[in-house]
Amino acid sequence: MLDHVEPVVLSSKLEIPYNYYAGPIAERFYNEIAENRRIMGIRCPKCDRVLMPPRGTCGRCFSDLSEWVEVGPLGTLINYTIVHYREPIQPMEPPFAYGLVRLDGTKEALLHLLGGVDPSEIKLGMRVQPVFREDPVGNILDIKYFSPVSGG
Amino acid sequence: MKKPLTIAYRAVLPFQYSAGRMGSRFFNELRENKRIMAVKCSKCARAYVPPRPVCGYCYAPCEQWVEVGPEGELIGYTVVTFSFLDPLTGRERPVPYGYGYIQLDGAATRLLHFIDETDYSKLRPGLRVRPVFKEKREGNIADIECFRIVS
Repeated sequence: MLDHVEPVVLSSKLEIPYNYYAGPIAERFYNEIAENRRIMGIRCPKCDRVLMPPRGTCGRCFSDLSEWVEVGPLGTLINYTIVHYREPIQPMEPPFAYGLVRLDGTKEALLHLLGGVDPSEIKLGMRVQPVFREDPVGNILDIKYFSPVSGG
Repeated sequence: MKKPLTIAYRAVLPFQYSAGRMGSRFFNELRENKRIMAVKCSKCARAYVPPRPVCGYCYAPCEQWVEVGPEGELIGYTVVTFSFLDPLTGRERPVPYGYGYIQLDGAATRLLHFIDETDYSKLRPGLRVRPVFKEKREGNIADIECFRIVS
């Protein structure tokens, strides 16, 4: 026998704050963005490639890396996805897009947000530029997003 | 030396879940009537609080609703003095606070809840306690703020 009951939906959450040291390599990467609006990679002379985001050790040949090079700021959109649904944890109101951006001077790609563009206008291979935060705080969102280079 | 760069991050994972047929009635009664409801096994007559649809001993359905408490007996307790992160708020709950098992009158099971006492010399098993209800109740277990020792 089932009595009618008003259904109850319980709201809950897990909230986990934490801090971590960026380390010397990522610290310089973030500081260059915050202070000089420069995006820096680090070159592996043995593999002849530029790692971006930079890291202290080459993941391929395990060389210690120290040769900093500026990359970008312009880059090419090599892939993207458009998010159509809303979740509380998402950084933007849908529809919005994530893109893989290959900055000039490196073969690596950076996953970041795309902005300043209608998602339906996004095209593979389009040239993009970073839009920086006005009040940088020292993390990857000091680049707000990448937007199409005006005039193509 | 310059202070090393620290990245601060806060992972927030909100979610919702259905309280189900029995949980819904339990929380509605708490919110509307400040009543703590249990449900009885149709075979062994154990009264479960929080309610559950099947008896854990007999596997028989639990069908009969009964009010339990509001008073009960303190079975076991601790005073928490080590501040740790409460995942529900992402903040540390202020210490000290009391925490204990309460067996409500008429119930076969025990509730784990906050105890409004942090002085060990005033705590002992077998004490009578009663619930303190929130003024503005929302239909969740926090509608009972804590249990207080009946003097």
